Amino acid sequence: MSSDSDFQLNRRRFLSNFAFAGTAIATGVGSWVVPAGWANAAAGPIKVGIGTDLTGPMGYAGNADANVAKMVIKQINDAGGLLGRPLELYIEDTASNEAVAVGNVRKLIQRDKVDLVLGGITSSMRNAIKDVIVSRGKTLYIYPQLYEGKECTPNLFCTGPTPAQQCDEFIPWLIKNGGKKFALPSANYVWPHTLNVYARKVIEANGGEVVLEEYYPLDQIDFSSTVNRIISNKVDVVFNTVIPPGVGPFFKQLYEAGFLKNGGRLACVYYDENTLGINQPAEIEGLASCLDYFKALTKDDPVSAKLQADYDKAYPGNFLFAAGSAATGTYRGLKLWEAAVKEAGKIDRDGVAAALDHAKISEGPGGPAEMVPGKRHCKMNMYTAVAKNGNYEIVARSKGLVDPKEC
Amino acid sequence: MENLLVALFEILSFGAIVVLVVLGLGIIASMMGIFNFAQGEFVLLGAYITYLAHTAGLPVWTGMVAAPFVVGALGFVLERLIVRRFYAAPIVAMLGTYALGLIIREIVRGLIGGLYISVPEPIGGSVALGSMHFSTWRLVIIVVTALVMVASYLLLSRTSFGLRVRASLENPALARASGISTNAIYGATFAFGAALAGLAGALIVPVFSLFADLGLRFLIQGFVAVMVGGIGSFAGPVAGAGVIGTLSAALPWVIQPVIADVLVFVLAIVFIKFRPQGLVSGKGI
Repeated sequence: MSSDSDFQLNRRRFLSNFAFAGTAIATGVGSWVVPAGWANAAAGPIKVGIGTDLTGPMGYAGNADANVAKMVIKQINDAGGLLGRPLELYIEDTASNEAVAVGNVRKLIQRDKVDLVLGGITSSMRNAIKDVIVSRGKTLYIYPQLYEGKECTPNLFCTGPTPAQQCDEFIPWLIKNGGKKFALPSANYVWPHTLNVYARKVIEANGGEVVLEEYYPLDQIDFSSTVNRIISNKVDVVFNTVIPPGVGPFFKQLYEAGFLKNGGRLACVYYDENTLGINQPAEIEGLASCLDYFKALTKDDPVSAKLQADYDKAYPGNFLFAAGSAATGTYRGLKLWEAAVKEAGKIDRDGVAAALDHAKISEGPGGPAEMVPGKRHCKMNMYTAVAKNGNYEIVARSKGLVDPKEC
Repeated sequence: MENLLVALFEILSFGAIVVLVVLGLGIIASMMGIFNFAQGEFVLLGAYITYLAHTAGLPVWTGMVAAPFVVGALGFVLERLIVRRFYAAPIVAMLGTYALGLIIREIVRGLIGGLYISVPEPIGGSVALGSMHFSTWRLVIIVVTALVMVASYLLLSRTSFGLRVRASLENPALARASGISTNAIYGATFAFGAALAGLAGALIVPVFSLFADLGLRFLIQGFVAVMVGGIGSFAGPVAGAGVIGTLSAALPWVIQPVIADVLVFVLAIVFIKFRPQGLVSGKGI
């Protein structure tokens, strides 16, 4: 009897311990601190917070962004830090889950009291965490991913490409190198809806026409009816905003239905080096994308080549330094912020935001970048690349920095 | 006319894919009374093994042949170690197998870096008929699904193993009294269901590419299929899978895809409301 009650007690104790361990696992392991290697300033280190998706479906991108942040912070520290103070990096996992993210980002703000938060990959993530950071947290926020635009919150700076940057030069190129009849197959969420409104305007302004615009559930993986409509409407250009997991089967079905053989052109503005592997090279031959950086640029741009080499050396493996996963936006964001802090000479939010408003960097992946004063968006070079046998070839580049045309 | 033919082929091929995925799930649910929430991850493992064979430089079909055996063996081990403890409590079994699935899924996600990876089909391309194109690999899937369905049916209805499986389901106590080791039968049935999932994963990975949520994508459809088809028989889940697969492939041809997606589930719920026992009621084959 006594042993029985002992067992009960033990089991209860075990359960409570287990619950504690469970909570610790759920809230604790997502946090990493990279302390500064040196500390001599009385003011202590400047704290940089990264909130990004280290786990879950967006993990491939979030890990690359965290790696880029580690690389940039290390470079700044090795060069003597900022304002004589070292930088300390705080990384929280937003876990591809907005509910988890809000709690973890709050930790960055309230517990770690960071001076800057950079992160968020999807628009839904940005919307979930921006209030925690900017309004209630009174902290500066940099969002690094290409997105649909229209984010004009004060103290929130965007360093990824906008629809104007991805469409204005790209769509005329597509009309010239593909044809006038466009199809806009899309995943049913905010980015494709908003991007398509802009893309349609540019297509029609350049003499093209949209013969099909359709939205699908995010997890749809069979596109036979869509492919059939695209083929029977004799579409020239498929301007795709279907996302993984659907995009792989979709391109495959288009290929099998003879779309490419009949001279059709695939276009997809988030396609980077990460997404090349989703299909066999033949299935996406000739796919065109327009981004601020491609690895192919390393051939003729020494700055990009050095960045890419540094990253690959420090972080070999699956998490690539690529534009579509916000890695280049993360680099740009941190470097612009560094320039702003240097100019402001202090680290308080208003001072840094005022300097960041017109910050410039002369070097970065794909070239220089500068904030458009008053717009909190970033001018940058844009490149059009075409997939050839499993690799990108640059086929067009913008003349100078492209305006984001936001806010 | 051409459109109609293409549509029929595509609908049939997606229906076949869903049937193939649901087959293992249905056998475990019907023959053992366990809802195996890790079934989707067995599908994923089948896909992953095929991918491993491909990256090791072996022909893709060797991975496809190996997948059902490896996943079946793993299913057998998991049944012995874990699932066996849940037979008395089906609700706990759902949670337990869900946890198993979660572990497998996240391990695979770590191994492939969360990326979406293409695996080539052993027989690629398409068959052209006039201006119509039919995917060769989807044709192969339809044929294999038909073969597997017939083979499973024969195994369960015509062999002494099948007889013992059914006996263990209908009256475990009597089966044990008659000298049937129900433990061994449950282990073998679970392994068989897992092996079918492994095969399904291996065959569909060239179509959908490899990603960690591949199995999860089909799990919900699979359960709806089992509910619509009816639990307790072999034919029930298969019929349910045929209906759900065909519906979800056919509806986007006639209405907006976003509405079609929801409509499949609405129809399923309405159907179950009026016929809770499913398409095929009762135990047996």
